[in-house]
Amino acid sequence: MKSTVAKKGGVPRLQSRHSRRLKSITSRYDLYLMLLLPIAWYLIFHYGPMYGVQIAFKDFSPAKGIIGSPWAGFAHFERFFDSYYFWRLLWNTISINLYSLLFAFPIPIILALLVNEIPNKAYSKLVQNVTYIPHFISVVVMVGMITLFFSTNGGPINTFIEALGGKPIRFLDSAEAFKPIFIGSNIWQSMGWQSIIYIAAISGVNPQLYEAAKIDGASRLQRIWHVSIPGILPVIVILLILDIGHFMNVGFEKILLMQNNLNLESSDVISTFVYTTGILKGEYSYTAAIGLFNSIINLTLLVLVNRFARKKAETSLW
Amino acid sequence: MKKRWGTALVSTFVVCSMLLSACGANKPGNEQNTNKQTSNNTQVAEDSNAVSADGFPIVNESIKLKIFTRVAPVNGPFPEMPVFQDFEKMSNIQVEFIETPTDGFPEKKSLLFASNELPDALYRSNITPLEQIRYGTGGQLIPLQDLIEGYAPNLKQLMETYPEIRSAITTPEGNIYAIPGIVSVGSARTDKKWMNKAWLDKLELEVPETTDELYEVLKAFRDNDPNGNGKQDELPMTSRGGLAIVNTLGGSFGLDFQLGYNINLEDDKVNIWMGSERNKELLMYLNKLYSEQLLDQDLFIQTEAQYLAKQGSGNTGYFFDQTNNPMLETKVNDQYIGISPVAGPHGDRLQLAAPVPRDLGAFAITSVNKYPEATMRWIDFFFGDEGSTMLRFGREGEHYEMKDGIPYYLDSFLATGDQGKITPYAGGGAPHLISENVSSYINPPQVQEAQKALDPYMPKIRYQTPMFDEQTAQKINVLRNDIDKYYEEQSTKFIAGTLSFDKWEEFQSTLKKMNIDELQQLYQDAYDNIVKKN
Repeated sequence: MKSTVAKKGGVPRLQSRHSRRLKSITSRYDLYLMLLLPIAWYLIFHYGPMYGVQIAFKDFSPAKGIIGSPWAGFAHFERFFDSYYFWRLLWNTISINLYSLLFAFPIPIILALLVNEIPNKAYSKLVQNVTYIPHFISVVVMVGMITLFFSTNGGPINTFIEALGGKPIRFLDSAEAFKPIFIGSNIWQSMGWQSIIYIAAISGVNPQLYEAAKIDGASRLQRIWHVSIPGILPVIVILLILDIGHFMNVGFEKILLMQNNLNLESSDVISTFVYTTGILKGEYSYTAAIGLFNSIINLTLLVLVNRFARKKAETSLW
Repeated sequence: MKKRWGTALVSTFVVCSMLLSACGANKPGNEQNTNKQTSNNTQVAEDSNAVSADGFPIVNESIKLKIFTRVAPVNGPFPEMPVFQDFEKMSNIQVEFIETPTDGFPEKKSLLFASNELPDALYRSNITPLEQIRYGTGGQLIPLQDLIEGYAPNLKQLMETYPEIRSAITTPEGNIYAIPGIVSVGSARTDKKWMNKAWLDKLELEVPETTDELYEVLKAFRDNDPNGNGKQDELPMTSRGGLAIVNTLGGSFGLDFQLGYNINLEDDKVNIWMGSERNKELLMYLNKLYSEQLLDQDLFIQTEAQYLAKQGSGNTGYFFDQTNNPMLETKVNDQYIGISPVAGPHGDRLQLAAPVPRDLGAFAITSVNKYPEATMRWIDFFFGDEGSTMLRFGREGEHYEMKDGIPYYLDSFLATGDQGKITPYAGGGAPHLISENVSSYINPPQVQEAQKALDPYMPKIRYQTPMFDEQTAQKINVLRNDIDKYYEEQSTKFIAGTLSFDKWEEFQSTLKKMNIDELQQLYQDAYDNIVKKN
């Protein structure tokens, strides 16, 4: 009511727009009330704790508290950059993710395309179920399984190698084998789960397009290439951006559980280093600095990839 | 539109339930906090309750302490241990234990101090010297020296008998922030060197006296089927996981373990031996054993439980442990004898032994404790014979009997298999006195025999990790974070053969680059301080 009165009075346009917005808010106040909850959630649990980041620039002592501890400037960052392990940590963190992206990202897409092409519905459901059940195995059990499978005393893989006349290989304490085992088991565990989104996206592609392609004489591969993939491309790009968003946060628990002195060369990553020196040895400021460094790289990557995607693929998060 | 409403509803529902669950999770914690506060308030009111300097009860009106403790897998719940039940009646001090399992204990302990949610005291807590300094100077732990003077007659007596205790736990400023577990019986300071005598006899071999003879014996164990099952499945030699083997065999290569670190003391000179030729010889020897499968191939990935199982299997040739308990359980102990350390290429024969103040940082009192005097008297009880017997053996008649003035577990009790459940010493690190008078179980005749083989080779004095002032401690921490990690990783690789000894010079120069000389100087200064004080 108020706004109509205002219009009649011929008030400047800016204010009228303002009040129109106000009206649209009040008329859908229930939606905004709902929005309040997630905002509160973010403020309390995500933005609130951020004031603790300042210990990265302080010499934190629990007795003095976060505010009371003396400032240390960039000393902790310098110590990390000068550290003997800096390059190794950085390389391992990046390479594990790069390989994951290279090998683990496309496989769910391929799986989804395959499942989509299976004409027998019962069989395709069976394949879906079988591939996604491993997702529910907990990390500890998963690492236990890896240890059993690759064990040198009676593990199936080494038994097989011995049966072929080879010598048992000590996979678990070899630095070369760590990354393949880590990424391979990740793929095995999560490909089915991740393919669900792609399968859903493919089923949203207009069936008329497939029929048209068929009539035009497109082969099955051509239909996949020219219809299915372009149809799910936006979904692929969004998921890729999201994946890159936690590029530097690799599966910390799993790596920690698989780590030993012999494979440390390739399994030492920033997050496990933060855990062992920060939580176990009580160097909170030092490891807060490392964690912050990690997050900054993450954020930068996310922004860059998003901008690239917006330009090239015309799909982006924002 | 309908669809959107559906999603909106679902998402609100999810968010709401998350928020609610977060609130729900917070509630019990809040309640506990308020509880604690009210109980503290009532405790303040009772403050007139005087602490008697000796005799029992310690306090006339019952008081309550909250104590954070580590629980080993073999232990039962602490409140059910007879020692704490009986001592509560005796002392009039009720203890509420906050029990934390050994796995993840260091993490819990760090978080306790970082979040400043302190218990009244920490028990069996392995607070490292650096942590003692950090939390002591930060005011979270209180200095104990005056309390020991006034309220800990047993501990005071022990510190007079063994001067190395005081030097190990006193900071340069003269404060004591934590009490160690004290070991006066030699046998509890060493890992016995258990050799499979049955296998030696079967293959008609002598007990090895040198590292070369040991190598030959292990090779015979591997090849000549001493267990007689026609298969090559014998495990010639194993050790506790990780690099424990380096310190165990180091004595044969002239490598000592002074000041709680890889340090040799020669003419009052501190020498960190990690990059030395002797260490290279040792690692090459271990590499030889490992690559010829004489040394357990699972050495670097085995857990404690797996190691104990191997001890009890009877299929192991040579290994190291303090007691013969795992062998007793499976009744294979007759196969084994304890042997002396073997002599190395330069004739060195030194046995690795823990210092008398063995378990550092085993007990500490925090700043929130309202009754430090009573708490000190409470813990001091366990440094006397009566308390340490109660702690290790439980109740007379129910769990143990006295023979010639020394307690022995009853056979009927041992048969239940509950020995580790009733005492906090099982699993290590409990703050108490381990003397001849209470070690009948860990020191049965077989172990005493094995210790006799080690006695001639025990170090004259073993210095515990020294206490540094806060600044030095921080410096050492920064240096050692990198150095230790590098040393452990590279040594493991040298032994496993994934790193060739051609890289030894690189190893040495990297240690130099990591300022190992500065570290050595810091330890030298600390050692000079100790010598001056004594």
